[in-house]
Amino acid sequence: MIEISGLTFTYAGASSPALRQVDLSVERGQLCAIVGANGAGKTTLCYALTGFVPHFYRGSLTGSIRLAGREVTKSPPADLVGEVGLVFQNPFNQITGARFTVREEIAFGLENLGVPRQEMVERLEEALDITGLAELAERSPFALSGGQQQRLAIASVIAMRPRLLVLDEPTSQLDPAGTREVFAALRAMTARGETTIVLTELKLALVAAFADRVVALAEGCVVADGEPRQILASETLQAYGIGETRYTQAARRALQSGLAPADRPLPVTLDQAVEFLR
Amino acid sequence: MTSVILYRPSASGLQQANPITKLVLAGTLLAAAATIQPLAQLLAVFIVALVPLAAWSRVLALFLRTCARLIWPFALSLGVIQGFFAPGSTILLSLGPLALKAEGLGAAAVFSSRILLGLGSATLLMLTTRPDMLMLALVQRGLPRQLSYIVVTALQIIPSFQSRAQGILDAQRSRGLETEGGVGRRMRALVPLIGPLVLGSLMALEERAIALESRAFMRPGPRTSLCAIPDSRPQAVVRWILVATMIALVLHRVL
Repeated sequence: MIEISGLTFTYAGASSPALRQVDLSVERGQLCAIVGANGAGKTTLCYALTGFVPHFYRGSLTGSIRLAGREVTKSPPADLVGEVGLVFQNPFNQITGARFTVREEIAFGLENLGVPRQEMVERLEEALDITGLAELAERSPFALSGGQQQRLAIASVIAMRPRLLVLDEPTSQLDPAGTREVFAALRAMTARGETTIVLTELKLALVAAFADRVVALAEGCVVADGEPRQILASETLQAYGIGETRYTQAARRALQSGLAPADRPLPVTLDQAVEFLR
Repeated sequence: MTSVILYRPSASGLQQANPITKLVLAGTLLAAAATIQPLAQLLAVFIVALVPLAAWSRVLALFLRTCARLIWPFALSLGVIQGFFAPGSTILLSLGPLALKAEGLGAAAVFSSRILLGLGSATLLMLTTRPDMLMLALVQRGLPRQLSYIVVTALQIIPSFQSRAQGILDAQRSRGLETEGGVGRRMRALVPLIGPLVLGSLMALEERAIALESRAFMRPGPRTSLCAIPDSRPQAVVRWILVATMIALVLHRVL
């Protein structure tokens, strides 16, 4: 689905690259989580996957990103839209302001894609349903809370049914229940095999529970890449300031005090932690 | 959050008409306001055309209240200026060197009625038309999308801009900025307010541009719309009659 090779990008005016020699390939239907400390290059990678780097944020780019046989670094965002969807961090600035209700705001992208009205209504209902916004459909987008606006930003992009969905910290303003709901919805989208998702996230416990794959970035480089359990419980992540889940922390303590045998793999989810301590 | 949108929904009345029809109607009434001479006829147009339409659209009370609120500053200032300073011989009241004259008051009444009719037709248009639907109808008739976007967004973003300014003001105050006092102090207090407001808005603009791109705003090709704009043959006929009336009014005045 996506094949990134040797991607290096330096923002115009910056002294050091934001991404260095990034190699990454994501298969169709995968939910790939990018973790990393602030300033590690997560957002830049999201922009690169959607063509905003280097077409909107200028700079010098080397390497390539191939998406279903097409070179993303050479395609302006307008050509990729519909194929690739981007949800970025600040939910307020993702509200276009072109429409007066939540329902119409979600429809805005579909109108621009020329989706017929009947199909538009179906996709709208589905997006409202997935993001739990059905009851707010007639409200003004500007009258929503931060978390609700974040759901709206996600709904607006998933209604466009991109084959690659890129989300940059999509749950930063959501409460724990809302965060789980969004992750479960994204998981369900990939389960149908139509959508590939790349997201950045700081909440490692959710990454552990929902991602197929974890990629750790530090100072623009990929420093770890693999299965969530293998990556999130590894010592390397600690060294890059990424941290670890509470389950892993608890397990380490248990190991220190001799509560569990040393040969077991460290857990990253609740279920694994229960298994670990049994 | 305060809203700058006056639209009042209703299941009947002008709300259900095509926005272009309403725009043409407002244009025709504006032409009437500019061209009709006698006071009685100007007021008659207001009473015969605008009042029943407002009642049919279930916004009569709001319409009259808005008109009253808009017209009195004009009526008062025109009355004073024209009444005292326009030439005339019928003196109603003498205040030292100044004299209130009937001719001047008559002219002020005509001017005020023109303004009333003009503002009234614009008010009725805004009370019965969703701005986004009007812009959509205009875009479908060839108005550039970007222009329509600017108009609709401005209506929604102004209130949020105000609340952002208030937030910055509060933040600066909590750091000890004095915003009350004489003119000089107030002017000085503006400096630390404007910087963050303008810079913050520019950064928001950049993100909004990305959001629009991600929603295919700049994509070439045909578009669809979720909301259907109501239209009918009779309405099209009404539109042409209104346009003809507008032309007749202007020609009548010019010739």
